[in-house]
Amino acid sequence: MRRLFPIVLAGVLLASTAAYSHHSYAATYDVGKEIKLEGKLIQFSFKNPHSYVTIQAPDSKGEPQRWSVEWAGTSQLSTRGITQESLKVGDAIIIVGRPSRVPGEFKLLMVNLTRPSDGFSWGTRSGEVVE
Amino acid sequence: MDQTRRIRMTCRLFLLLSAMLTGVCAFAQPARPAIPPDIAGEWVLQSNEDPGQIGGQGQPTLGYYLGIPFNDAGRMRADTSAESIWGTPEYQCRPHSAPHQWRGLGGARILKEEDPLTRDIIAYHIQFMRGLDWPIYMDGRSHPPAWAPHTWTGFSTGEWLGNTLKVTTTHLKDGYLRRAGPQTSDMYTMTDFITRHGELLTAVTVIDDPIYQDEPFIQSTTYQVDINATTNWETCNGSSTGENGGNNRHWVPHFLPGQNTGLTEWLKNEKWIPEEPTRGGIKTIYPEYKSALNGSIKVADLKVPASKTAVNSSKAIADQSPKDGDVHVLPVQGNIYMVIADGTNITVSVGDEGVLMVNTGTPAMSDKILAAVRQLINQPPAPNQCFGVNCRGTVGWSSPFINNTISSPTPAKPLRYIINTSAAPENIGGNQKIASSGYFPRGGGFGNAVANPGRAAQIIAHENVLFRMSAAGPNSPAAPTAAQPTDTYFDEFHKLPEYFNGEAVIVYHEPSANTDGDSIVFFRHSEVISAGNIFSTVSYPFIDLEKGGSVQGVIKGLNHILDLAVAEYRSQGGTWIIPGRGRLSDTADVASYRNMLSIVRDRVQDLIDKGMTVEQVKAAHPTMDFDGRYGSDTGSWTTAMFIEAVYKSLKEKK
Repeated sequence: MRRLFPIVLAGVLLASTAAYSHHSYAATYDVGKEIKLEGKLIQFSFKNPHSYVTIQAPDSKGEPQRWSVEWAGTSQLSTRGITQESLKVGDAIIIVGRPSRVPGEFKLLMVNLTRPSDGFSWGTRSGEVVE
Repeated sequence: MDQTRRIRMTCRLFLLLSAMLTGVCAFAQPARPAIPPDIAGEWVLQSNEDPGQIGGQGQPTLGYYLGIPFNDAGRMRADTSAESIWGTPEYQCRPHSAPHQWRGLGGARILKEEDPLTRDIIAYHIQFMRGLDWPIYMDGRSHPPAWAPHTWTGFSTGEWLGNTLKVTTTHLKDGYLRRAGPQTSDMYTMTDFITRHGELLTAVTVIDDPIYQDEPFIQSTTYQVDINATTNWETCNGSSTGENGGNNRHWVPHFLPGQNTGLTEWLKNEKWIPEEPTRGGIKTIYPEYKSALNGSIKVADLKVPASKTAVNSSKAIADQSPKDGDVHVLPVQGNIYMVIADGTNITVSVGDEGVLMVNTGTPAMSDKILAAVRQLINQPPAPNQCFGVNCRGTVGWSSPFINNTISSPTPAKPLRYIINTSAAPENIGGNQKIASSGYFPRGGGFGNAVANPGRAAQIIAHENVLFRMSAAGPNSPAAPTAAQPTDTYFDEFHKLPEYFNGEAVIVYHEPSANTDGDSIVFFRHSEVISAGNIFSTVSYPFIDLEKGGSVQGVIKGLNHILDLAVAEYRSQGGTWIIPGRGRLSDTADVASYRNMLSIVRDRVQDLIDKGMTVEQVKAAHPTMDFDGRYGSDTGSWTTAMFIEAVYKSLKEKK
């Protein structure tokens, strides 16, 4: 099995969020940890029940990996003005997320996203939590 | 007539009419109440015992097994299951497993399907947001044979018990009892008792899984009618490589035993709950457990009134591959039939150009197999459908369809090809006799200058099959020439040189799988893959190390099947896969088997990395949660032999 995990930022967080995923967040992601990725956006899939951001970013060994970041569905993101056009392929972005519980898996639950080039962000204001 | 007499007469007449009416109803549908409650409509979820409700989170908590009558295998399977399995390409579109469907969000829609003539209810159809249509047949049809496919909703029949609709469901795929860990095998049955109480609908569900439970698990869900509700619908729009990141499309997420450290996290916020009952098990779910809680008795000494499973798992598994000395035929798709001959699956293509068989069974079954194939190719002609304005230009004797009417159809073409997926005795045993029943022209022509040597069907296999069959073994002679492959290939694949029965037929080599000569056969238009011995629904794969087999090769072969196959909808149907032994399957079934094998491989590798010997690995029971489904303590391929083969594969061929 693959193994590794990058930068552990935070300690214990509150237990899981709401109820619309086909899978259980608390069981899928380690809600007590956060990791930070910095890389280029490969794809933004704006869809329901959840959007996905695919980003190429290094793992803890510095090897480039395709990371899949689970984000909110279109309804929730739309309330913040986010559309399919909000993120472009190649954007340099920073993502903080909760890692998969499975060792060696390259996926996160979105906590926040920042695009330094123009200050675009999500996850830093009240209510911006993946439901 | 006095009043008393009139009353008596009226009563008698009423009783007579009642009896007649009852008789009529009984004739139509014996178990149906006179006026069954109408359960059709739009329903919204009101309440259930989902553990997520405790914290108001709506999602189950990792490691919460309270109330689940797990056996040790069920607990191990739950502990090592990763929720990320949802994100794999094969499962990202799957609906909720049947036990969870009532619990899923989005409401339930219940429709009635009526006989247009009599208005009798043929079936109820229940639909959920993340589900396939769930038909419940009320017309008395029987459940399919054990070798028929399993689906996400299973096969359901219903009967009225008073005002309660009892629904019996079989043929379910493996999935989860509830989210966040607890799993089911694919051998469980489900019984729902659906009762309407005015505005409310209660579904009491009994899940009887003989592989992972010591007794049936019971849950209930309540719905409320809402005429303004519309059941939501979620289409699948998963990505081609899944949602788990990385670049390995065959990634199988799971936890090694002991690696899932989050199982007790939730207890930090629920300190009043002791850990032991959260692990499930029948001794923790009866009132007698109170004695263990206060320390007056040890759990091991507790006696509880467990109700046994009604499913005989050994029989149910064996029935998928009946060794009954007989032949059973299952029509599959397109040109393809699955013929089960005394426990061995034979794939048969039947069409205008003749017959192609993948494998030939054991010699003892040849006559019955040939009889079954003859029945397939000599089916009585259907009444002519080509006439009048719908079939202009084909008049009288010029119409090819007239042959049906005059009972003089075109003679069926004979057996042309046999493809052997390996040199296993059950795959080649009937070669000689069955091939001799066929005919494939080989050369000839040029008038009489060149004799046509083709008097039998062509036999195709990987060249390693021919090497094995043509060489005498230590205790066996070489196979007769007439039984040996006539045409071999050595490359990654071999295409039949032209369409057969209107489609491409491609034979792929799967190196170092069960042996060094395994093939799978893809019928490209019929969308059927004949998997040979790489895939079985009744046992662990046989891995013959001495003949070049390896666990890695079998997994690679299964992944190849998954790469070729496409589900029709929501991880179900589409490309059908015929296993060497067992029931007809689809991509999700192959994925389940591949997952099992990948998990076992990783566990054994982990134990090797810890320096364990093969005997120590066997003693660690790395396959415990799958043994009830695929293992055996007796016979020619035991669990111990399988573990040893996996161990040696990994140790020697790393």
